[in-house]
Amino acid sequence: MSDVTLTIDGKTVTVPKGTKVVDAAKQVEVDIPVFCYHEKIGPLGCCRMCLVEVEKMPKLMTACTMDVAPDMVVKTVGDKVEKAQKGVLEFTLLNHPLDCPVCDKGGECPLQDNTFKYGPPDTRMEFHRANNVKAAPLSPVITIDRERCIACQRCTAYSERIEQDRGLVMLNRGFHNEVNTFNNEPYDNRFSGNVIDICPVGALTNTDFRFKARTWDLENHDTLCANCGCNCNITLGTRLNEFMRIEARPNDAVDDGWICDKGRWGHHFMESKNKITAARENSVGKTEPTSFPNFPINAPAEQAAEKVIEIFKNIAEEHGPESIGFLGSPYATNEEGYLYQKLFRLLGTNNIDHKSYQDTPGLPIRHFDVEEIENSNIVLLIACDPTEELPILDLRIKKAVSRCGTKLLSLNDQDTALDKYAELKVKYKVGSEASAVDALAEGLARELGESIDFSSDLGPTGISDEDMKSLVEAVRSSMKICVVYNPAALSGDTSLRVKRLLSVIARIPTIECGAIPAAPATNAVGAVDMGLLPDFYPGGVPVSDSEKVKELWGENAPTKPGLSASEMIAKAKSGDLKALWIHRSNPVVDFPGGEQVVEALKNLDLLVVHDMLETETTQLAKIVLPSNGPGFDEGTTTNIGGRVQARRKALEANSIDDWKLIQVMLKKLGDESSYSRVAKVLNEISQKVPGYQEINSRFVGKQGCNREQVAGEEVSPGNVESAASSNGKLQLRVATYLFAHDKILDASSKLAYHFKPSSAFLNESDAGKIGVSNGDRVSISGNGTEMEAEVTIDNRCMEGGVVVPRISDEQGVNGLGNPDGSPAWVDIKKA
Amino acid sequence: MQEYKFTEEQEKEISRILAKYPVKTSALLPLLTLVQRADRVVSPEAMVAISKKLDVSPAYVQSVMSFYTMYHTEKVGKYMILFCINISCQLNGCDKLLEHTARKLNIKVGETTSDEKFTLHREECLAACTEAPMMRVNDTYYGNLTEQRIDQILESLD
Ligand code: SF4
Ligand code: SF4
Ligand code: FES
Ligand code: FES
Repeated sequence: MSDVTLTIDGKTVTVPKGTKVVDAAKQVEVDIPVFCYHEKIGPLGCCRMCLVEVEKMPKLMTACTMDVAPDMVVKTVGDKVEKAQKGVLEFTLLNHPLDCPVCDKGGECPLQDNTFKYGPPDTRMEFHRANNVKAAPLSPVITIDRERCIACQRCTAYSERIEQDRGLVMLNRGFHNEVNTFNNEPYDNRFSGNVIDICPVGALTNTDFRFKARTWDLENHDTLCANCGCNCNITLGTRLNEFMRIEARPNDAVDDGWICDKGRWGHHFMESKNKITAARENSVGKTEPTSFPNFPINAPAEQAAEKVIEIFKNIAEEHGPESIGFLGSPYATNEEGYLYQKLFRLLGTNNIDHKSYQDTPGLPIRHFDVEEIENSNIVLLIACDPTEELPILDLRIKKAVSRCGTKLLSLNDQDTALDKYAELKVKYKVGSEASAVDALAEGLARELGESIDFSSDLGPTGISDEDMKSLVEAVRSSMKICVVYNPAALSGDTSLRVKRLLSVIARIPTIECGAIPAAPATNAVGAVDMGLLPDFYPGGVPVSDSEKVKELWGENAPTKPGLSASEMIAKAKSGDLKALWIHRSNPVVDFPGGEQVVEALKNLDLLVVHDMLETETTQLAKIVLPSNGPGFDEGTTTNIGGRVQARRKALEANSIDDWKLIQVMLKKLGDESSYSRVAKVLNEISQKVPGYQEINSRFVGKQGCNREQVAGEEVSPGNVESAASSNGKLQLRVATYLFAHDKILDASSKLAYHFKPSSAFLNESDAGKIGVSNGDRVSISGNGTEMEAEVTIDNRCMEGGVVVPRISDEQGVNGLGNPDGSPAWVDIKKA
Repeated sequence: MQEYKFTEEQEKEISRILAKYPVKTSALLPLLTLVQRADRVVSPEAMVAISKKLDVSPAYVQSVMSFYTMYHTEKVGKYMILFCINISCQLNGCDKLLEHTARKLNIKVGETTSDEKFTLHREECLAACTEAPMMRVNDTYYGNLTEQRIDQILESLD
């Protein structure tokens, strides 16, 4: 784009064509006051606060709506402008109450600031101000003070242009205008809280934070949201070591300035009653564990950990290192994951994992950062539902489609909220993703003239030849494509097939391509990068590459592939695995298998759970150790775009930091490294983890930085197994629901109003066969587990499948899944 | 909220209206008018039905609807009397005539008679100043009003 040079208050500035004068002024540090203008929302021209004088123009102009022009001469000071600013402010303040002493916005209020800087000293208003409703709930989490609203329309424009659902509007425009929703319904969606941040006055306030603290008394900590893999940037405000509120902290490369409601109100787990605060021994499991000494009651966590790791060592010596295992966490920091894998590999085992699905490190094509979505002309979603899984990605995709000319393609087994933005939506039958992905890869390979045979078969997918052809064509003819796939929603080895598909795309000579592995867990990418895997060391180094492993990890580093999480669970059941250590994970509820997982864990000689909240799994543990978790911990996480960012400590905990605890154990095992600060762990990561060479705490800074591509060796998938005959059973798809009632959002959560009852989404024809109609209660059974749900018939998936959103821990839908991660069959009967 | 049903007639009319506009949203005012005429009110249910026809949010329909004074959220009488009170009519004595009309109908300005026959509202200039004082009853303008003429007009409406 060509540049334009203009003068603002005598300062020359050159900016790209199309820039608004108000933004150009910022570049030369000229402050033009605004109310309605917001960089991310775009011009509105509604409040008139930004009036400036432009040479050769007869009237004052609004700087927020005016594009820069060559040789334009702008004046933001002088009698004319000042008079206008005073006038606008006097008018804006006509009916504005004198609330500052009791207003939550006080101290960070643009109306206060602008009035102080540009406003008239007093008012000529001689009448009573208009009275209006104070403090009405706009939703369970947002309170609106109608007297304070200055009708700038930022919030309604946000609803229209960013959320794009026009849920919040200006009613009764004119003297009686009011910001409201349809028919006084609550304003609730996934992104409602952002209007609090952008309201330039104290009209829209955070109900949870109201009257809790004055803003200038807050200690603000620049940190990251811990609730999904987007890792949005937030400011966490605390006072006297107590959590107060969360606000967005704009970072274009990550969140584009917004956070979702789960980010804003979903952090009360930090002060949950269920928080684990001390090490303890449960009287569970086998009464006489192998060589288990007396556990010191009330001992500090570090003493307990030292003891327990010694027992692990003894077990490993007695029964061989295959008899112990570690289940890490995709929610923990890179530092914690790194140190833990180091610890267990020091014990001689590769029985290390963090997930219940298959995934491998690295990508055969570029790992795109989230921002690349905007300049890709095609985004292909595979098995992704960003709205529920990675909310901020949903806003980014909507922005790309509506403002950047990006076309959205979707390959999924269920309908999602983003479908209405998609140019092409191809739906496959639940459980047939392997065939669907292969068919696309083979179609593209054929276009390339390659004679590749993936023996793909459209038959089981239910996709028509035509649809597949259009999809192949759309991908082939793209100029720049970004493939976003969710490995956690792909059954069996399909994520390997996606990688094979990506290598085919990479061979199309005419297109630029990249991918985003979009698993929902907060640090899913980091966990893979840090080698919390049975077959890879950190940075995608395969365990079989013994030369490289020995070079990086020493002579004794284990080079035999370990057990995956599901294999460990199976071995625990058979008695071959004696001891398991679990860090911040709740396999009993989150892994497929349900009761089988419980039985397996009960069968262990020793189960140690190091977690921040009590879970179904901690109940089964012999030893429970406290983990501080987000808010209290510090370190880095790697988001879905491969961006490494710093999660900072906001609150002081009583327990020892996780990384320090692991360090204590490493020492106990004779490891010599010592880390005085968590940044030292990061230093070691940069030395030991290929891809993280450039990462250090200074570089991570405030905005984070991309790690280099982690190497990935191509693992070829096996043949697609033909599905067992259905026998009237349906294939189960567990969908994600953002506001599930779990340990993070418990019953006391501010977001509890979003909790939903259990439901099953059926296709018309299946509903007919089973003989159920909308609203019927059904029992769903499979894999020895049974659960109840209410039927909705809406063709969300094709015939032969059922979609069940995971709405709570209690619901137990994962129990229906096969422990090995293959597509699960369920029986549905009227209850 | 109950589902709002358009009649078959209305559905046909809606298709005709929609065909006129390249952008669907443009049909919002005509559809609101259609409903207001038929029901003498635009209910929330109707707003939802319109929003579905046009692929916009119900909130947007309400925001547009609430800007215009001729769409009503409470049911109005069979005859909607809009009495001009702007300057020309004011100078020609509309205040007294408005009072007279209200007394005659036995309601206050802004109200509807109990038989739902008449609703009386004040209105700003209706662009018929040459015939001030004037009022509008549904789609008909009545100018050069006097008390007598008003009585006659009201009686002539059944
Ligand atoms: S509520 Fe706030 S953001 Fe919305 S119009 Fe009023 S002042 Fe502006
Ligand atoms: S999108 Fe994810 S990271 Fe961002 S605020 Fe929401 S939960 Fe947090
Ligand atoms: S900021 Fe320019 S008109 Fe509001
Ligand atoms: S003032 Fe009454 S019609 Fe114009």
